[in-house]
Amino acid sequence: MIRTILWLIGGLMLGGIIHIIAVILVPYFTTEDAWARVARFGPDAQFNVLPEVKPGAEPLPMLDPAMAHAVCRFSLDDGPIRLNATIPYTFWSFSLFNERGETTYSFNDRTSGEGKLAMLALTSSQLSMLRENPPDDLESLIVIETEDNHAFALLRAFIPDKRREKDIDAALAKAKCTLLKI
Amino acid sequence: MALVDTSVKPIRRIAGVFASARCLRPGGRKRGDARAPSPRDDWRIDQLPKKSPSQYFLLNLFLAVVVALVFGIGSAYLAVDRGRLFGEVRLGQWTTYPTAGTPDADPYSAATTARTGQIPLGKGEGMAFFADRDNAGNRLEPNCDYRLVGQTPPGHLWTLTATDAHGHLLQTDAERDVLDSRDIVRRDNGDFDITVAKNARPGNWLPIGGNQPLTLVLKLYDTPLTTGSGLAEIAMPEIIKGTCR
Repeated sequence: MIRTILWLIGGLMLGGIIHIIAVILVPYFTTEDAWARVARFGPDAQFNVLPEVKPGAEPLPMLDPAMAHAVCRFSLDDGPIRLNATIPYTFWSFSLFNERGETTYSFNDRTSGEGKLAMLALTSSQLSMLRENPPDDLESLIVIETEDNHAFALLRAFIPDKRREKDIDAALAKAKCTLLKI
Repeated sequence: MALVDTSVKPIRRIAGVFASARCLRPGGRKRGDARAPSPRDDWRIDQLPKKSPSQYFLLNLFLAVVVALVFGIGSAYLAVDRGRLFGEVRLGQWTTYPTAGTPDADPYSAATTARTGQIPLGKGEGMAFFADRDNAGNRLEPNCDYRLVGQTPPGHLWTLTATDAHGHLLQTDAERDVLDSRDIVRRDNGDFDITVAKNARPGNWLPIGGNQPLTLVLKLYDTPLTTGSGLAEIAMPEIIKGTCR
């Protein structure tokens, strides 16, 4: 009897270990994570404008219905990614996510410097290659060196009223997310 | 005396006697003279009614593994399914999770983020606050009216939405599902008074709908709070229950 109780205690301890392993492994085995969902809105390495955030038809969980969104999923394996957007007269914010859906870098229209999105995302080795042959407008770019080769960028723009919605959607549709050849 | 004793040794001795008796039984089949009481016979008679030690071992091992799997996987599922467990900061009725959705998040939070595919706000974008109870501690119900009174922390812009417990926006009868800081009518001292209700209200009104318990989400954009200035002393609107139907 005592022996069985000891075995059960051992089972609980083993269960604790299984609990920890299971929780840590969840991000590696989910199929409905943000990285997978983002791929549904269009090809990688370009900004895709998301459909309007409406009850029952939210493009991604936890988005704000007061905002218009564009998302660009990319891989740095083939080269650095350059992001450009100009969104007039409204609040906008930008966030870079890694493959696990965690935000690694973010800013908004007031902290962006010049009020527009002008950014370069690259790996450490690409940065050293770029230093030898820098682009002309490097001074005005926000350069993000990242360890995450797979990432996605999300651009949110506030829609103050219905009349402005068209302009903002058009500005998002013009946002650029391009692969640089180096 | 030995017969009454229940300890193993005497029984074993009796078993030995049986075994040897059987061997020496007259007319019994003999397998050669060398057939002496062997430890095998001894074991058979002695242990047959009970389970062998190895059977106990297997049964116990099986029990332990079942307990480990049920407890381990079950508790992991519950912990990840029930939402954020750690890293919350409470401000009145509002809760925020500053590290959720960042590489600094705890493993439970990271698992929840991955499983739900939620898109968190980056630190440079803003901060989201959640409330699912009123100032009396009761769960927010869609059939009740609520008043949100007070101020928000400093920020460029904020939006207020109502979701169900899983973060899905509520279907409303009105044409909108969000209220933002630019639409708000304020008092002279900067305080606002918002009514959260199913049916249209004069003044600041956030429409809600559905019949499930709801969560209010206040997203504060471009706020100095995210850059580490103290979260402890900031004022958040009070949630006061009104009439229910």
